[in-house]
Amino acid sequence: MEILYLLIPLSTALVLLILGIFAWALHRGQFDDLDREGERILQNDAVSVDADQTRVLQRTEQSPTV
Amino acid sequence: MNASTTFTASVTEPTPDIAVLDDPLEQQRFTRWSTGSDGRRVAESTLRLSGMYCAACAGIIEQALAGVDGVSAATVSASGQRAAVSWDPQRTRPSQLVTAVRRAGYDAAPDAAAPARELRRAEGRKALWRLFVAAFCMMQVMMLATPSYVAGPGELEPDLAQLLNWSSWVLSLPVLLFSAAPFFTGMWHSLRSRRIGMDVPVAIGIAVTFIASTGATFDPGGIFGHEVYFDSMTMFVSFLLAARYLELHARQRAAQALESALDSMPQQATRLLDDGRTEQVSVLRLTPGERVRVALGQAFPADGRLLDGRTRVDEALLTGESKPVPKLPGDSLVAGSVNLGAPVTMQVQRVGADTRHEAIVALMREAMSQRPSMARVADRLAGPFLWLVLGLAGAAAAVWSVIDPSRALWVAVSVLIVTCPCALALAVPAALVAAAGGLARRGVLVQRLDALESMAQIDRLFIDKTGTLTTQSLRLEQQRVLRANADLPTQEAALAVAASLAAWSRHPLSAALNAAGAAPAPWGWTQVEEVPGHGLDGRDAQGMAWRLGARDWACAISRLAPPTDESPEAAAQTWLCAENGGCACFGFEEALREGADEAMCALREQGYQLSLLSGDSPDRAQRLARQLGLHKAVGGATPQGKLDEVAAAQQRGERVAMVGDGVNDAPVLARADVSMAMGQGALVARAQADAVLVGNRPMDIVQVLRVSRRTMRIVRQNLVWALLYNVACVPLALLGLLPPWAAGLGMATSSVVVILNALRAAR
Repeated sequence: MEILYLLIPLSTALVLLILGIFAWALHRGQFDDLDREGERILQNDAVSVDADQTRVLQRTEQSPTV
Repeated sequence: MNASTTFTASVTEPTPDIAVLDDPLEQQRFTRWSTGSDGRRVAESTLRLSGMYCAACAGIIEQALAGVDGVSAATVSASGQRAAVSWDPQRTRPSQLVTAVRRAGYDAAPDAAAPARELRRAEGRKALWRLFVAAFCMMQVMMLATPSYVAGPGELEPDLAQLLNWSSWVLSLPVLLFSAAPFFTGMWHSLRSRRIGMDVPVAIGIAVTFIASTGATFDPGGIFGHEVYFDSMTMFVSFLLAARYLELHARQRAAQALESALDSMPQQATRLLDDGRTEQVSVLRLTPGERVRVALGQAFPADGRLLDGRTRVDEALLTGESKPVPKLPGDSLVAGSVNLGAPVTMQVQRVGADTRHEAIVALMREAMSQRPSMARVADRLAGPFLWLVLGLAGAAAAVWSVIDPSRALWVAVSVLIVTCPCALALAVPAALVAAAGGLARRGVLVQRLDALESMAQIDRLFIDKTGTLTTQSLRLEQQRVLRANADLPTQEAALAVAASLAAWSRHPLSAALNAAGAAPAPWGWTQVEEVPGHGLDGRDAQGMAWRLGARDWACAISRLAPPTDESPEAAAQTWLCAENGGCACFGFEEALREGADEAMCALREQGYQLSLLSGDSPDRAQRLARQLGLHKAVGGATPQGKLDEVAAAQQRGERVAMVGDGVNDAPVLARADVSMAMGQGALVARAQADAVLVGNRPMDIVQVLRVSRRTMRIVRQNLVWALLYNVACVPLALLGLLPPWAAGLGMATSSVVVILNALRAAR
């Protein structure tokens, strides 16, 4: 049962990590308009994300989420 | 946005109805200004879209908007059907944006409700996120706590038990610091205002449990003992947050449904300049003294005086009267009333907040601040309950510190946990939210959950007449041919003739005739003229003159005396007369809403006192009251008069409810203990009422009262259960027979029982 000494702290850390990732995704606006996300792959002129994501950042800052 | 658009919209002249969007005064309703990255001013507008039938339309609209020169970004939300556009004020105007959307095949209107909706959305998001964190951590903590519950003595190594406790502590931190934060801030606010609210016992319970469990985690041999209760604490927080979130969601849904009426094209007025030219301006730009031309069918943009022309005006929004009021030069006009007779010129006297409409709104707001409030049962109990609980816990700790000091603290904690007011905190909101949800499914939006409590104790109902018990329109009730001839042989023929002539007019009686006449027109009419105050004059296919309208005027065309008519007095009458002597008479009654008589009958049987309040003439009010079996009828009442009636009833000690729909019902709706507005009613009445009957059915009143009575029964059951549970468990805890884990379990079970019972209210 010594493995539990690893698993219990690991699961705690994992829970906190999951919460953190979820919070990050929510804060970035990924859950704002779920209907359109699935279709983005079908659009051939969708916004291409650049390496440091400044364009995406601008976009989420300029337009108020609706 | 995208650089490869296939077309660029050229700048075109906007159509007049959207040109008003370029007025800066109008723009501030739906536009935010900011400074862009290069220092220039950037405008962000929110538009409401219509005609979208799938999510792909969002992409098309975004393309169309991005194609407008000057637009830097356009985002369309498919689910919300809104567009957020960032544009450069130097290069484009909002009217260009709307034109681009229209050219793409959709329509757009300014979104004035955006700030409020944003706030609601942010609030809902935050509440949901808090709930998620609490629930997620609760699941993990319960998992980590399970070994201590199920292990027999000696099966769980102390090191492992310690590790489990530490992990539980770490995972309870987000719950305490983030999810439970509203309870602590609520406690802080209520302590600062020196009132005990529901948050105080909840916050104390959470804090004590956490502190004691922290002590037990890091110092197992210390005063806190070695038992930890993080699972109880997180579960408690999750349940409470769930209840609050449901309440918030129900409230927001109701607000959203009503706000859709706020989004409309800004009103315009045609201003008459001194040199005779006219210009279209926003209503907000009118000043007293200016002259305005109001077309047929338009609403008057401001309070004023009729300068020239004669017309009829529909003042139903103010008085509830369905009959149009004739106006002559010099008569006063009310903002918002509809011009029905002929195009006229009006001189503006009062605008904006000074209009009578706004004065009524102000009267209503003032009445609301004096509204008798009904404190919640649980809130009233919470104060003494809290002191009692703290006292008991302190006494238990004191007594046990003498008998067996090692158990003193945990006995006190057990007392606090087991009496934890979560059953009290949940009993009322859970039932109210469930009831509101059940009612919403049936077409009644409850805007103020507290009102459900008040509704269960109503003695007397005040009901408005026009628009509430009756529909806004008239209905043809009787038709008689008084002098038949070749052109008017039968009643059906008379109706067909009258309906075809009435099609030329927008008068409510004409509308009623059209609704009743199903036969095709016997001939085409020429030279139709509508004479305000009298009726319609037209020539038929053979050139013979006919008149449809007021009795003396219509019969004058045949130069014969009007026939005597012994029929009973109808609410309104119109006469059809031909030049050659044929004569028919049509009588109209206000149409009762479907289900009105069953509803009144049911309410009477259930023992409510029913009063009719109406601005209409006293004998029409009396007639309707007799027909429906109401106990009392008050006709000819002004808004102040209605307010006095309600106040008098409240003075007598009765709890009153008001059901109404017009703007001048709004102060009364605010004053009554409970208010219900018809879904079809004036916006200000709907926005302030406790419940909105979206389906416009009088039977819904019966439903709402029945559901409220049932809900209060369920709430009382819940409170009784909470009380019995406490009375049974507190002595056990005081005697040290209830270990904290059992206390936690008991608290959880009691919460679940309360919630399940509350869900019954939804049926």
